[in-house]
Amino acid sequence: MSDPVSTMDGGLYAARQKIYPRDINGRFQRLRTLAAWVLLGIYYLGPWLRFGGRQAVLFDLPARKFHIFGLTLWPQDFYFLTWLLVIAALSLFFFTALAGRLFCGYACPQTVWTETFLWMERLVEGNRSQQMKLAKAPWTADKILRKSAKQGLWLAFSLWTGFTFVGYFTPITELARLIAHLDTGPWETFWVLFYGGATYVNAGFMREQVCKYMCPYARFQSAMFDRDTLIITYEEVRGEPRGARAKGVDHKARGLGDCVDCTLCVQVCPTGIDIREGLQYECIACAACIDACDHVMDRVGYPRGLIRYDTQHGLEGRPKRVLRPRTLIYATLLLGLLTGFLYTITHRNFVAVDVLRDRNALYRERPDGAIENVYNVKILNKDGAAHEFRVVGSGLPGLVLDYAGPTVWVGPGEVQAVPVRIRVPRGALAGGADIEVGIEAADRPELKASGKARFIAPSG
Amino acid sequence: MFRVSSGEYPAKLRWPRLGQDVAIVLWPSFLVASFATMVCFAFIDPVLIGNDDYPPPGFTTRMSGYAVGFFFFWLVASLSSLLTLYLVRTAQPEPPGPDETDANRVRSSE
Repeated sequence: MSDPVSTMDGGLYAARQKIYPRDINGRFQRLRTLAAWVLLGIYYLGPWLRFGGRQAVLFDLPARKFHIFGLTLWPQDFYFLTWLLVIAALSLFFFTALAGRLFCGYACPQTVWTETFLWMERLVEGNRSQQMKLAKAPWTADKILRKSAKQGLWLAFSLWTGFTFVGYFTPITELARLIAHLDTGPWETFWVLFYGGATYVNAGFMREQVCKYMCPYARFQSAMFDRDTLIITYEEVRGEPRGARAKGVDHKARGLGDCVDCTLCVQVCPTGIDIREGLQYECIACAACIDACDHVMDRVGYPRGLIRYDTQHGLEGRPKRVLRPRTLIYATLLLGLLTGFLYTITHRNFVAVDVLRDRNALYRERPDGAIENVYNVKILNKDGAAHEFRVVGSGLPGLVLDYAGPTVWVGPGEVQAVPVRIRVPRGALAGGADIEVGIEAADRPELKASGKARFIAPSG
Repeated sequence: MFRVSSGEYPAKLRWPRLGQDVAIVLWPSFLVASFATMVCFAFIDPVLIGNDDYPPPGFTTRMSGYAVGFFFFWLVASLSSLLTLYLVRTAQPEPPGPDETDANRVRSSE
């Protein structure tokens, strides 16, 4: 407040005051720590998992195919990814309507990595007051040592994060070997540094500012809120008027509410807000203030829950509804999309065919009188193994196919174009007709696909 | 009782304006560029762009093709964000309409 510029609009260059959230333990913080361990565990261990003799999850960009355990996705399967994104967005809507910003508090990478960085900061610099004291202290050897130890920890962790990220795109054992020999390619080096640098800046310095200034979800989540959405609230009626009191004093007789005004709820807040002011969009619903307040309520012997998860209806003493049109609609849509996705991905066809007419000639009459059309048949094999394909045709009497057969070899994930001559006896048709051209794997007949094409003959 | 805060976010905790602007320009365009890169290269194999006797610089291998594509999209989207931000920041202030509430606060029904 001593800086007049910063009291205006934050000023153009005025440095923001750093928030030092006080460490707090409690049931919700244990839940968040558990969530962080699980999510970071999945992230950091993920690329090291093996499945069927190769990396279990590998988005092999150089080879243009994604391996996810037994599943291989080709660029042609791109719509699955779009589908997944829609499902993810809808899940976010559903959980937001149900329980508010669960994602922000427990699962958002920004929150999880910030918490991890805060943990490292505490490890080196001590608790909240020690950190604040250290920040004000002159640059002694101890301070330099602690600050550089913290930065070192942060940097090492960030680099490991970047390395893991790239390990999802390029085989991680190979990448580790290259790094050990300082022999990584320019792009691998770049992306490790890029992602590592982003982690370092986001989790080390920007922190809650990302939620406040950069996150679109923080701005539109209120559209999913209604009066039955779980939010973190302070029960004003019970708490106010707030004030300090001596132990054992009957505060109600003195006209005081249950809030002892210890400001612990503000000190633990990672975004620096006071939940007692009411619902604010800076609140990421981490529930640290609930744990802090419950702790204090226990100590002064008042019932827990002055700050708690509740709904607007709940606070007004009205019945709470979990099932309501909004949640039912989101749930139905989500279930439908998820079922459709799982069905399609398990029943998807591993081969596809594309039949193109040769544009150079409409038709050709052969010496024996037969009419011939030429096609370019593209066979796409999305299976993980190579197959020999037969090309078959139907749709006209006496139809004969002529191609470099009897079978065409197509490697895994490859496309093979096959020129195919199709002929019918003279008089089989006049003008044009639709025919069907199909392919089937000789070794696995269930791998088949077909496409329509136009057959053209002289009219009359 | 339930209430939506009418208080301001403490000024000392706010980000400097320049930082906000840089973030507003770079971050949404980063998200859009990531999405555009995914869609674009799902349909186009970058080495096919470079499948030529004289490939454009950066399209000689797939990995560099993806990267060049990503940064191209990021640049283009940043320019768009920058112009949008400029227009928003330099707009003449208008009196709030009848239905407009403080958009920075969580909306309370009723």
